[in-house]
Amino acid sequence: MKVGTRKMVRQLQSGLTGVSNGVVAKRCLAALTVLGFAIAATPAFALEENVYRQFLGIDSRRLIWFLAQMHLFFGAFVLGVPLFAVIIEVIGWNNKDPKFDKLAYEFTSLLSVAYATTAALGGLLAFALFTLYPTFMGYMAGIFKDVMFMYALLFFGETFALYLYYYGWNWLKSDKPFSPTMQRLFKSLGLVVAAFGLVFAFGLIGPDMRVDTRWFILLLYIAPTAVGLLIIKDLKSSHIFIGILLNVFGTAIMQLANSWAGFMMSPTGVDSEGTFVGTVWQAFENILATPIAIHRMLGNMAFGGLVAGSYAAVKFISAKTPEEKAHYDWMGYISNFVAIAALIPLPFAGYYLGREVYSTSAVMGNNMMGGDFSWTFIIQAMLVGSLFLISNYYLWSGMTRIPGAQRYYKFIKYILLAVIVSFAIWLTPHNLPLSSQEVGEMGGSQYHPMLKYLGLMPAKNAVVNLIILATFFSFLLYRRGNMHDAVSIRDQGKGARITIIVVGFAAIALVAQYAVTMLNMDPADLDLPADRAEFIRMIGYLLVFQCVVGLIAIVLALFDRGKLGQALYLSVTAFNVTIFLGVWGFVVMEKASPVLRNVAVSQFLQLISCLILVSVIDVFLFKRAKSLGELQWGKMTVRSQYALLLLTFIITMNMGLMGFIRSGLRGDWHIFGVMRDTSEWAYTPSNFVMTQQVGGAVLLFMIGCAFMFWLGGISSNKTED
Amino acid sequence: MNVTVARVFPFLLVVLGTFLWIGYAITDLTGGGRKSSAAVDISPEGGEAIYWGKGRCFTCHSVGGEGSAVRGPNHGQFGEKFPLSMGARAEERAKERSEKEGAAFTAVDYVVESMASPGAYVVNGYKNEMAVVYAPPISLNLTEIKAVVAYLMSLGGDLDMEAIDSGPSEITQKFYAKISAAAAAGGGDPGLGAVVYEDNCSECHTLNSEGGEVGPDLTDISAKGLKFISTAILEPAKSMTKGFETYVVVDKEGRQTVGLKSRDEAGEVDITKANGDVVTIAKADIKEIKIDDTKSVMPDDLSEAMTVKDYQDILSFLMLQKSKPKQ
Repeated sequence: MKVGTRKMVRQLQSGLTGVSNGVVAKRCLAALTVLGFAIAATPAFALEENVYRQFLGIDSRRLIWFLAQMHLFFGAFVLGVPLFAVIIEVIGWNNKDPKFDKLAYEFTSLLSVAYATTAALGGLLAFALFTLYPTFMGYMAGIFKDVMFMYALLFFGETFALYLYYYGWNWLKSDKPFSPTMQRLFKSLGLVVAAFGLVFAFGLIGPDMRVDTRWFILLLYIAPTAVGLLIIKDLKSSHIFIGILLNVFGTAIMQLANSWAGFMMSPTGVDSEGTFVGTVWQAFENILATPIAIHRMLGNMAFGGLVAGSYAAVKFISAKTPEEKAHYDWMGYISNFVAIAALIPLPFAGYYLGREVYSTSAVMGNNMMGGDFSWTFIIQAMLVGSLFLISNYYLWSGMTRIPGAQRYYKFIKYILLAVIVSFAIWLTPHNLPLSSQEVGEMGGSQYHPMLKYLGLMPAKNAVVNLIILATFFSFLLYRRGNMHDAVSIRDQGKGARITIIVVGFAAIALVAQYAVTMLNMDPADLDLPADRAEFIRMIGYLLVFQCVVGLIAIVLALFDRGKLGQALYLSVTAFNVTIFLGVWGFVVMEKASPVLRNVAVSQFLQLISCLILVSVIDVFLFKRAKSLGELQWGKMTVRSQYALLLLTFIITMNMGLMGFIRSGLRGDWHIFGVMRDTSEWAYTPSNFVMTQQVGGAVLLFMIGCAFMFWLGGISSNKTED
Repeated sequence: MNVTVARVFPFLLVVLGTFLWIGYAITDLTGGGRKSSAAVDISPEGGEAIYWGKGRCFTCHSVGGEGSAVRGPNHGQFGEKFPLSMGARAEERAKERSEKEGAAFTAVDYVVESMASPGAYVVNGYKNEMAVVYAPPISLNLTEIKAVVAYLMSLGGDLDMEAIDSGPSEITQKFYAKISAAAAAGGGDPGLGAVVYEDNCSECHTLNSEGGEVGPDLTDISAKGLKFISTAILEPAKSMTKGFETYVVVDKEGRQTVGLKSRDEAGEVDITKANGDVVTIAKADIKEIKIDDTKSVMPDDLSEAMTVKDYQDILSFLMLQKSKPKQ
């Protein structure tokens, strides 16, 4: 901000002090004149009557809420399942293992009914919106008409891809190579798409866009398409390419719909009369569109994994033969694995979305964490904490089917303690509604003398990281359950060493780039005075330390001290993200609170780097390690299957709850700051109403799932016949 | 499988029952839905409805034991930190201010100032982060703000409705004028509008003798009214100020220069282009010079770069730009 502007801001902030009385009177008169003129020109959108209708006297908002929720549940499943179905198919194709191929097909078989239901609910939702909220929908359709047509066209693409993917499974299973010309053609096309992606990545093609939007498009549309084309060499790989296209269409549909939800929260390109004067691209790429899309993408994957897991659990419980039990046990394990993989980065995607919401409007941000929804977030913390706790429980139960895993049972109680303590801290509110007497007993403060610290962001960020690390540690124990001991990495040849070095350096680079940013950041960028630089630099120094430890871990792994390297990097990461930055976060909050977001980013990067580096070392550390016995799939308790079902119920409730928060943040605005909700339903419902509404939708969705599973069962029986 | 489903559903019902119970218990603890109030009169009761409804004051403030927010100061009597309720507290602070500045400053002035210019006095231990209540999304109008002032003054203070409504002091009148002007411009925040101005306009326009000279001086722009300013931002070609027309100069070699004619003297003219570059062209080299009233040097895509909030903020900022009175 230039000096002149600062001066103007100060003048505005300090009012018009120092002006003589006569001048004040004249100014008031002038202001009234202006006001009179201005009222005549008051934005039309603020005055235009918003038309609302009802159907059978039902509360229109609750009806829309319910339909939207049902559409989203089914839609999330339809979009989530193909994401991992294709990956599983690729694993089967690459390893020539028909077991994975069969599993991928079984996952896909659940989709067709869900897809039709999603489309039907989407149609119902659209009709309900256009008939019950005609003014609002007329306005939205006026702005997004091009996007809406594209949305409909993409549906054709997705429908075609889905049915070809599912019904063409056996038709496109041959591995007989195409002619060399044909293969070259696909490879050339793949290279063209890859080259386009490269040009796009550097911003040389396409409209101006946010960095996150560019990477979203690059990583989820262009790169998978290029890879899909490059791998085509026979009918089976063509089938995989169709699966990739199915995901590209599905993700694009989701992104288009998200742009509407984002626009309602952070509209762009609208003039004072509510007339849209920007471009469609700007409306589409509003501030919150991509952060919502990233969050939903990961959420859909976790959700799809767990709903498929519940299918496996139900089939396991009702299985009659050991073979059936073994198959569905394995399917449940894969589903849970997929869900955990998506759940781990989800809190960070949520943090990013929350940060962008706060940047869009401090009122929305305050309302989210400290206003109407603060207690809803406590419920959310209970649900998410339960997800991690139960996922861990499922992994520990799974260790009973692994010969040799008994060696690691002793660690479970410590992991459980870490998860429970973290969980408790996560759901500790900063302040509580207290009676005057209770306040008096606490020395006249609304804060508890000790617990108040646990309710603040630094404590919550620290324990979220610890929960994720603990879950990852559980997974490591599970993975090496039946491995005799680590093998020599040096003896595995160049390939192993190069992979560890390349992946390890990439993991360290994630941290290093942010270290450079922190060491060079000007405090003025965060509106902080120069003497606050030390709070930013400290993060930089810590990240440099993390990088050095990462390098040591790589060297140790290359010299057959991989376990030590893993332990070192895990311990240092746990210390840095949980203890050091947990405490440092409080100091930062007190002295330089804008830096707190950088603390959170640094925690995330260290954690992700740790997961990547430790995993890659682990892969080679136990590659072809002597086995203590085969995994005894099917030897799982029924209790563990109920845990899997509980995970599905919880994530479904959580999705509904988070939708309530995101949508409710707008308060009594259909489109934040542009079109006010003037209906009789313009208020934020209580948490009890939310649980009724979401609970009802969850119940109906689960009934729908039972129906899908039944149909899936018929389909698989036919296939077996 | 049917038996399994029959077993699983009671389990689901137990889980959903627990979920409902948690929702019920929390609602019982924290209160029900938050409904925005309808139009109110200027009274403590009307203000209370706004405070706990449309104004969303409860998001950050509590009143004694009512409410649970702690982001902003408690407006009631509460523990050792807040021995006085808001009305009495305002009187005490106004008295301190009067003594310090040697000029009259009333409790109502203090409360109105806290809403019109929240940063003017920040209570020790709290951040200067109060939302602009007359801007979206809260968008209180002047009547509603007066009602909230009446409510806050009624909390332990001497409620003087005349000072709030019918006969406000000059200081309060100034703040009311500021709120009205900003609210009329879509409810923007003039303070944030100044930042938008700096980022988008100051390189070309002069304001209070500072800034560029490519575009017209905006020091007294509010006199032209909201509609003119709005059009000038969104469709600059439709509201060109005399003396700032766009000239198209074609020289004898066919080269075209577009911009403002910033100097016209014997023998040569200066054309200032949109990027600020000045091109001097000898009159002898000019084949044709004409005004293009369909184009403005000012970018016509500003609306695309702004959010609704930016736009409303800058409108409210410009609506406050009046030339300083001559002493």
